Amino acid sequence: MKVLLVEDNERVAQFVIKGLLEAGHSADHAATGPRGLELAAGGGYDILIVDRMLPGDIDGLSIVETLRTGGARTPILILSALADVDERIRGLKSGGDDYLTKPFALGELLARIDALWRRTQQREDRVTRLSVSDLRMDLLTRKVARGERSIQLQPREFKLLEYMMRHAGQVVTRAMLLENVWEYHFDPQTNVVDVHVSRLRQKIDAEFENPLLRTVRNAGYMLTAAESG
Amino acid sequence: MMRSSALTLSVGYVALGLAALMLFAAPLWYAWRVTIDNGRIEILQADAQRLGEVFAHEGESGLRALINTRLNMRIPNERILLLTDSGRRPLAGNLPAWPAALSEMPGTHTIGITLDGVRTRAVMVDAVLPGGDLLIVGHDLARVAPLERYFWYGLAAATAVLSVAGLLGGLMLRRALMSRIHSIRQTVSAIIHGDLHHRLPVRQQGDELNTLSQTINGMLEQIEQLVHGVRNVSNAIAHDLRTPLAELRSRLEELSLTRPDDEHTYAEIEAALTDVDCVIRIFDALLRLAEIDTGMRRAGFTRLDAAAVAAAAVEFYVPAAELRGISLSTGGSAPAWILGDPLLLAQAIGNLIDNALKYVPDGGYVIVAAQARTDGVVEISVSDNGPGIADAEKSKVVERFYRGDQSRGTPGVGLGLSLVQAIARLHGSGLELLDNEPGLHARMVVPGNTAMLLQAERVARGTAPMAGSPAPA
Repeated sequence: MKVLLVEDNERVAQFVIKGLLEAGHSADHAATGPRGLELAAGGGYDILIVDRMLPGDIDGLSIVETLRTGGARTPILILSALADVDERIRGLKSGGDDYLTKPFALGELLARIDALWRRTQQREDRVTRLSVSDLRMDLLTRKVARGERSIQLQPREFKLLEYMMRHAGQVVTRAMLLENVWEYHFDPQTNVVDVHVSRLRQKIDAEFENPLLRTVRNAGYMLTAAESG
Repeated sequence: MMRSSALTLSVGYVALGLAALMLFAAPLWYAWRVTIDNGRIEILQADAQRLGEVFAHEGESGLRALINTRLNMRIPNERILLLTDSGRRPLAGNLPAWPAALSEMPGTHTIGITLDGVRTRAVMVDAVLPGGDLLIVGHDLARVAPLERYFWYGLAAATAVLSVAGLLGGLMLRRALMSRIHSIRQTVSAIIHGDLHHRLPVRQQGDELNTLSQTINGMLEQIEQLVHGVRNVSNAIAHDLRTPLAELRSRLEELSLTRPDDEHTYAEIEAALTDVDCVIRIFDALLRLAEIDTGMRRAGFTRLDAAAVAAAAVEFYVPAAELRGISLSTGGSAPAWILGDPLLLAQAIGNLIDNALKYVPDGGYVIVAAQARTDGVVEISVSDNGPGIADAEKSKVVERFYRGDQSRGTPGVGLGLSLVQAIARLHGSGLELLDNEPGLHARMVVPGNTAMLLQAERVARGTAPMAGSPAPA
């Protein structure tokens, strides 16, 4: 997809652009607020990554607000060094779709823009069934089955699997799982998320030949039908 | 001298008091004068009338005899009497001559005369008798002067007492006020110079100044806590971020000096990334602590069911507990409504569970409870049967970056319990670490909102719609 990065720090920008290109996206870079607004208003981008604190009159939040006021619906990820809960809420209220605090791992950023992109794609069609390979989930009856076998899940496990199936083929990070499945925005200190994922893996993968739930080193997890990652 | 509001005020009140005194005294004086003067004149006129009748019946000689008889009796305070012929030559009486000041006109006059060689004032009725003789009946006013003097003395005394007492009172009030203001100024100047421990003096009886002092003391308390928080954070940053940073630095330096093979280099880089993540974690925790300490998060408080938050936290940690055969459960599921921040409360309970799981031996238990007590408060607790915390260490474990001997070798940065304590304080509580015999019983007692409890009761009885909703279970 086509990404616009508005970021004044040259090093961070280079690092992110390089990562985006390597992940197969195309990317433009704007180093100032006015330039970023100009490019973004021109349209043609699938996703915007906007640094919150920019030098000059136009900062990241005003770019987001201006675009949203103008009716633009492009998903926006806000990057910021401000980690307060209140700041995060302000960022999302101004029209951002996700909020990532600096410093961040590149894997986290890539996973989040993939998730944002997927979310906009799904906005139109209201799915009632999800499937990955032979794993099927019915969102209405809340039944899960793999192949011929029905799988019993706890409510939270169901939510976890639903999130991963909605983002099948993409990396989901631990922080994304925490925020979206448990709605927790803090560091639980221990590897509790990993334990939940491995329990889920026990239920959906243990007795089958090809595993669907994979661990992606230094990033998170991926649910995929592909034979090799 | 500086302007003193107390003194100005008391001078004003004294002036007002004097004006009131004059307003009271003037009509009194006037009424007194009129009554006495009129009475006196009536008496003189009646006397003159009687003497006139004597003259009419007994003639000039009869009247002269009567006057002489009266004067010879030497009655105290006798009137001034004078009978003259039409040429104003005295025929009888105690006045040596016709007073020069007395006008030609008959009637009542108040004039100055010389009586027995003494100047005095007298009121006189002067009448013309049949045949042209003239009669004066008078009254020496010097005789009533003492009474008037008493009046004036009384008025002067009242004025003096009022002025002196008023001004003295004002001065004393000013002194008392100045001494209190002085002590407040001393305290405040000590605070300005950086010593935040001082508090304004507060007295037992609560006057206006006392109420103000108490309010200011409350403000100082808050400021001291904020400053303390900032100081703590900067100390912590200086002290504890240096360690992982030093590790990171030496790792990178060694890498650049020794230039090992690729495989070794990559391993070192990964280790360096872990170091950085550790620094970021500490940093995030410190910022979160500072954010909580300012109390700003209180603006985002909502009505929430602490029991539901606790249940969700338990559910989150259960798989991790089960891995080690630890029984993690909730004690009761009745709603426990409080005002709070659901995210922070979840973090506090999560940290306590996480802490308990670290120390409880395999096969042990952890019980999480959030219950509304009958006295309206909500008790949130996490108890375990681990090793517990020695009494001597209890106050230290909530200090930032403190790690007990038993925690060596377990992951964590030593901020977990500090965070819990800060969150508890934000919710109007504190973190109590009690003995579970054996184990630890960590407890927060959060004030329940009475209005909320009433609402919750109505909801339970089905008489009110459910307002807000607890965290999803």
